[in-house]
Amino acid sequence: MTANKKAPSWSKLHDWFVTNFSAHENGNGTASSGQHQQPLSHPVFTDLASPKTDYQTFLENASRTMIRFKKPEHLIKMIVKTIDEQLKVTHTAVLLYKEEKKSYILIDSKGSEGLKIPVGFIRLSVDNPLISVFSEKQSYLITETGILRYEDVIAALRSRDILERQSDLYDRLLLIKRQMDLLKASLCIPCYFKRDLLGILVLGEKITGESFTRQETGFFVTLANDAAMAIANAQLIENLHSKVEEIKGLYLREHRIFIHTSIALAAAIDARDPYTHGHTERVTNYCLAVAKELDGLPEIGNYRNFRETLQISALLHDIGKIGIPDHILNKHSRLTPEEYEEIKKHSIIGATILNPIKELGDVAKEIRAHQECYDGSGYPDGLKGNAIPLVARIIAVADAFDAMTTNRAYRKAKTAEEGVQELKRCSGTQFDPVIVSAFLLAYEKGNILTNGKNLYFNGNGSAF
Amino acid sequence: MTMRKILVVDDESDICDFVKNFLQERGYQVLTALNGEDAITIAKAEKPELILLDIKMKGMDGIAALKHLREINGNQKVIMVTALDDQDKMDEASRMGACDYVTKPLMLDYLEHTVEKNLKERA
Repeated sequence: MTANKKAPSWSKLHDWFVTNFSAHENGNGTASSGQHQQPLSHPVFTDLASPKTDYQTFLENASRTMIRFKKPEHLIKMIVKTIDEQLKVTHTAVLLYKEEKKSYILIDSKGSEGLKIPVGFIRLSVDNPLISVFSEKQSYLITETGILRYEDVIAALRSRDILERQSDLYDRLLLIKRQMDLLKASLCIPCYFKRDLLGILVLGEKITGESFTRQETGFFVTLANDAAMAIANAQLIENLHSKVEEIKGLYLREHRIFIHTSIALAAAIDARDPYTHGHTERVTNYCLAVAKELDGLPEIGNYRNFRETLQISALLHDIGKIGIPDHILNKHSRLTPEEYEEIKKHSIIGATILNPIKELGDVAKEIRAHQECYDGSGYPDGLKGNAIPLVARIIAVADAFDAMTTNRAYRKAKTAEEGVQELKRCSGTQFDPVIVSAFLLAYEKGNILTNGKNLYFNGNGSAF
Repeated sequence: MTMRKILVVDDESDICDFVKNFLQERGYQVLTALNGEDAITIAKAEKPELILLDIKMKGMDGIAALKHLREINGNQKVIMVTALDDQDKMDEASRMGACDYVTKPLMLDYLEHTVEKNLKERA
């Protein structure tokens, strides 16, 4: 018999128990007799014809509430408490395997003064004879339920056959007895998940000095398996959490690299035109300040990641200027209509540059539309109202505000206040009124900083 | 032969109770103290052969208590009880004359063995 055969799976036990139990409820007290033929040769309650006991009620509750214990420690505390209250033993203790200490650590204990083992005070190494009994296949020493009983160890030590013919076993029994003496253990119940020994439930003697009944030992086995399930689940969840964190970290790192690349590109665009120096940075800051005031706008829900799309689109909105000849871009006098037509191509060029980048599909669309006007008079597609994507409408306002409030070759800058008045004047025609009012709110709160560095541009991802 | 006297010092009463019970069952006379000050008073009055002294305690810690205990009796045998990762404190205690140490969480057989071993060695 292998170790894990001795530890029937939770589902088997659960099925068995529920079947058996509902038979009781139907008033069919003999239903359990059929269980003798089950492949699971388990004596738990098989000879039980009495009405349900407190253990059964407890088990029933435990199986229902098991799933709710996020921390297995809570379940174990409940188990220890229940045993202590219901069984009147001198002491109860649970040792659990802790990977970081490579040993079994006492995690909960109850009992009378001097017998209660202080939590965290003791440990058993993995090669402790008491652990080996369960982790190795020393089937002889363990009853068919999987429990190690002190009285069985004593009985085996008294056997002449073992003393005379199996000296190895005899020596091992002595070591086990000694370990049980140290813990004053009367019963040791293993807690397995698959083939791994997760822990041991240690029980002292009953205060009355009586032996444990089969019903009681069956109860322990079921509890131990419940606990194993809960512990294993918790460990799986913990592993999953750390994996998720790891992936999050990778994502953040990639994301940072990406934002920094966008910032570098934006800086390259800005560098071509001394008059627009810092333009991209300011526009990005304005956009993010406006976005703060748009919280809860239903349209935001259409974006997979609105703030990210906004930040990247704002950073790259003028990337198409790369394709505009220097003599037009840097012209110090007013543009001719032909030159203006050239300049107007920059939104299409920008979208074309970004189009091959699949992940930037949204961004390309926004950049193409950032020169559209709310009334349909913009370019390149003459989109109107909400047909212009939201991010593009935000960039349009921020872009115009920055253009007005900075010097150009052909005109002086307006003040911020004048710029705001101009936005108001064009609200509903050139600009989306919703965006303009969000901009005004941000302006009144002092979040539109025309000359200051803003925290949004630092690219460390904190803006998300 | 008189029962050998051991003083157990730990600010957790559960630990004092448990260790006291554990050692009593192994034939020792056991006294307990919940802090360094009490430990010093008891050590003066009772002259235990061996002291089990927890390093991390509220108020006077094990290192300070060790200093006083060794002043009272220069041959006092003291076994320090300490957390696994407390190497610096252990080194300090050893310089100040602690004769041995056990680390928490401890193995009961090791505790038993360490106590026996140190009582055998005559100072």
